[in-house]
Amino acid sequence: MNGWIGRCLRVNLTDGKHQIEKLDTDLLELYLGGRGLGVKVFTDEVDPNVDPLSPENKLIFCSGPLVGTGAITGASCNVITKSSLSGGLACAKMRGHFGAELKFAGFDMVIIEGQSELPVILSIIDDKVKLVPGLEYWGRSTAETEELFKKNLGDQWMARETYLVSIGPAGEKLLPLANLVNDRFLSVGGAGIGAVMGSKNLKAVAVKGQHSLQVADGSRFVQVINTLINKLNSAPLTSQSMSQWGTTFLVGLCYQKGILPRNNFRSTSQPLKNIGTEALNSAFALRGRGCFACPIACIKKADVKYSAFEGKGMVPTYLAIGTLGFNCGISDLSAIGMMSMLCGEMGLDPVATGGNFATLMELVEKKAVTPEELKIDISFGNADSMIEAIRLISTKKGYAKRLGQGGMAISESFNMPEIFMGVKGLSLAPFDPRAIQGMGLHFATCNYGPHHLYGYTFIDELLNVHENLDPLETQGKASLVKRYQDTSAVVDSLGLCNWPLMGLKFNNYVPMVNSCLGTNYKADDLLSIGERIWNIERIFNMKAGFNMGHDTLPERFFKEPIPDGPAEGQISHVKEMLPEYYQLRGWSEQGEPLQEKLQALGLEE
Amino acid sequence: MPRIKIDHTKCTGCRHCEAACSLNHVANTVNPRRARIRVMRDGNRYYPVIAGPFVDAACTSKQFIVIGDQTYDMCAFCRASCPQKPYFIEAETGIPLKCDFCGIPPSPSCVRWCNTGALELVED
Ligand code: SF4
Repeated sequence: MNGWIGRCLRVNLTDGKHQIEKLDTDLLELYLGGRGLGVKVFTDEVDPNVDPLSPENKLIFCSGPLVGTGAITGASCNVITKSSLSGGLACAKMRGHFGAELKFAGFDMVIIEGQSELPVILSIIDDKVKLVPGLEYWGRSTAETEELFKKNLGDQWMARETYLVSIGPAGEKLLPLANLVNDRFLSVGGAGIGAVMGSKNLKAVAVKGQHSLQVADGSRFVQVINTLINKLNSAPLTSQSMSQWGTTFLVGLCYQKGILPRNNFRSTSQPLKNIGTEALNSAFALRGRGCFACPIACIKKADVKYSAFEGKGMVPTYLAIGTLGFNCGISDLSAIGMMSMLCGEMGLDPVATGGNFATLMELVEKKAVTPEELKIDISFGNADSMIEAIRLISTKKGYAKRLGQGGMAISESFNMPEIFMGVKGLSLAPFDPRAIQGMGLHFATCNYGPHHLYGYTFIDELLNVHENLDPLETQGKASLVKRYQDTSAVVDSLGLCNWPLMGLKFNNYVPMVNSCLGTNYKADDLLSIGERIWNIERIFNMKAGFNMGHDTLPERFFKEPIPDGPAEGQISHVKEMLPEYYQLRGWSEQGEPLQEKLQALGLEE
Repeated sequence: MPRIKIDHTKCTGCRHCEAACSLNHVANTVNPRRARIRVMRDGNRYYPVIAGPFVDAACTSKQFIVIGDQTYDMCAFCRASCPQKPYFIEAETGIPLKCDFCGIPPSPSCVRWCNTGALELVED
């Protein structure tokens, strides 16, 4: 098979047995792999109303067909499950080398079922699938787990080539904010997944192998990649901004346009001097790190210079700076670096954690709760106590239990649900939807909550790469959102990264896909696969209890105009754009996929 | 003579060179373990190493390498396809692998795909 390995590993943790299955080639044609295939298999096998933390929920790791083949940025593996935070489908993208190594280990997909009695680690090393007793790893941070596991392998050469994805203490304690962390410090952006893995008593998955991948037309494939690398190098964003600073370069841009939220989305002007990329350079010694086969290398490693922490860390990304930092009123880059580092060690999702604390801080400010009651001085701008709190919530000891339930649960427990800035139970990524309308519509309608990785409209709205759009304009945004959502579904399913789209057009990917897989896709064929995936996700979520009422934003964005900054006076126009969006999607006015649409996509029941 | 100059400070550990090499030497196949260049990693850092022949003599003069504040075992950067470690040896046949600069005149595929400048073809 070209691209795909064609094998799937099914592990039942309840009885400890595993079996190797062949992938259904018809499904591969319809869903490609990665996110698409994973979601298809998950939605077929799991009841939408299952309790996310029960043994009946499954956890799927699925690499795309282009992963590991050397296709540029072909590195990502998607993790699919039912989220314990939102109750809907969760699909998170894992960067780094794990995805590629999973393919070299001989599998496109790993399905994890059941629940182990004692902690275990699933080890897929050199064609030996084993459940290793995980008791000695339980309670350890993600970095320690990886180190210890490799030490226990005994063979330093084998250890060098093994890649791990694990949960931290937060996942073990079933904290809804927990996620997975792979390759030591890359957080797998999806809250609630860590708790699912924790509920299965699965501490980590380790992979290594020697399988070869086949490419349909090697010489053409190599040529295509040469041209793509040249294209990336001639685009300023991918060759300079991303390579130099990673996504952090967005901080300055978003600030200028009034998109960067502060103090739980109540302001966009920061009284800050040091937020630009220069500040980043001086706070950290940057060192680029790439996912498998990535010419951009946007991941930045650094030594976090913070007195309380002596270790190696990763430079906070735009997400971490926005959510853990500015939205909590904190602008000290080294403190933010420290927090994002801690989140990585403890296995916490930065977006959900930041949202959690921003909610708490506003509650304190509104005097719904006092710092004395919380036993910790949580307030906007107080970095030290937030660092302390991050440590505390992941151990879930004593009073800290109340602090980490997720923004929505916390705001509800104080009868102020309007304070939670999130959609479908998940916290907003740091883009103020009032100042960037298309992104706002995406946040409201996204199957995976308000996260920009599933619809990167800011590439056109803010960065103006392919189209020169005004972020405040609503005209044409519905179709922009649909296009980007479908694109993200295809890109994730192929196993590619989204960021090359800051320099390449989606069409540029097509020859790479075809020469690798030996197919004859056109760009539109791929996009309709994306649409199919988006629709099955939607259907699953509707069965799990989401409806049109969930396709909205917090009331604040409709009622309170942005009080200051460049986008002063703006409110969100999501409600006006929503009908057009539904229509473009071929959904009813209530947002349900219509029969004709399903038929056209080959999804009729 | 042309050679490939390695600047490890520029390496991002993306291993695109490994994919390029194996694609170029085994038709339509990608497998880093069959590549003649491998990226060794140690903590924060990456060191591309290009395969060379194995001679016993290298091992007798083995030393430790100090980079920055860390000391490394020389074996980790050794380019020999030696029996001690599973690098640069075809898994199925046991044949030692050696960089051939991708033909004459040299046009190394790893250098072509290395986008950070960690690998460079130089003449000296
Ligand atoms: S652009 Fe960044 S996230 Fe994407 S593949 Fe490259 S290093 Fe990974």
